[in-house]
Amino acid sequence: MKDLLRIKSLISTEIESLLNQQIKKEAYSSSVYLSMASWCNRNGYDFSADYFFKQAEEERTHQLKFFKYVLDMGGNSVSPDVTGIKQEYNSFREVFEEALDQEISVTNSIKNIYARCMKEQDFVTMEFLNWFLKEQREEEYKARRALELFEVIGEEGTGRWQIDKHVGDIKYNSEA
Amino acid sequence: MIATLTQTTPWTDVFKTTKGAVYQSDEERCWYVDFAGKVAKFDHRCLLKLRKAVYHIDIEQALLNTTKDPDVEIIFICACDHCYVLTLVQIIALKELLEGTFVMLELNHILHDKLYA
Repeated sequence: MKDLLRIKSLISTEIESLLNQQIKKEAYSSSVYLSMASWCNRNGYDFSADYFFKQAEEERTHQLKFFKYVLDMGGNSVSPDVTGIKQEYNSFREVFEEALDQEISVTNSIKNIYARCMKEQDFVTMEFLNWFLKEQREEEYKARRALELFEVIGEEGTGRWQIDKHVGDIKYNSEA
Repeated sequence: MIATLTQTTPWTDVFKTTKGAVYQSDEERCWYVDFAGKVAKFDHRCLLKLRKAVYHIDIEQALLNTTKDPDVEIIFICACDHCYVLTLVQIIALKELLEGTFVMLELNHILHDKLYA
């Protein structure tokens, strides 16, 4: 008896469903960043708004990478529903705290898929995920660095204005 | 619309229960599901959609439901010729049949991996 499921798709249905969950997560992240950009813009933090616009764009690119990978491997990519996006924040700092939480949750989720791939010996998907693991190093670094600015500059006086000015300059240039 | 299909190519048994059976046709690259009085042909996508549809029915909820509506579920799969109208008992039987089928397909996959890799 032929292995018809394998003929049709390189990835297992479990991996396919995990990747679809990740597609949804990336779409959600993109929308959250967009809402953060809106909040920052409304409250006069224009540089941070630009930073979050860029982040939203990046998350969308990640979503499409997963989306196309699933299709290329013979699976079914599901265009996700995105609902329940928080629109209001209590403070400038809270925005960055939630941005870091968001990135940590994405890293964990990619680690979970990687663990499942190891169990199934799906080396192809593992290799695909390597790019994302490296990307998460940068994403978490940037989010953490932004929060550090609140510590080193301080929010008093013109502090928030200074922080906003420097958020756009955050770069990750690791040789490692 | 739904005609009972007759066998034209060799079929391999995948899984059987007292209520139904699933066969695979290597030549046509599809499966035949013999259940609820008809034999229906499913390709790869449709079989996965059927599984998803059946697994998503909350059997416990339907059993606890005390409304006077009949305990009937309509399983309609988009872009597939077949539709099932099943009672709860039949749904449980179909779920058992599909679970067994996918375990057998998984086993077949493992055997292929070990024998031909």
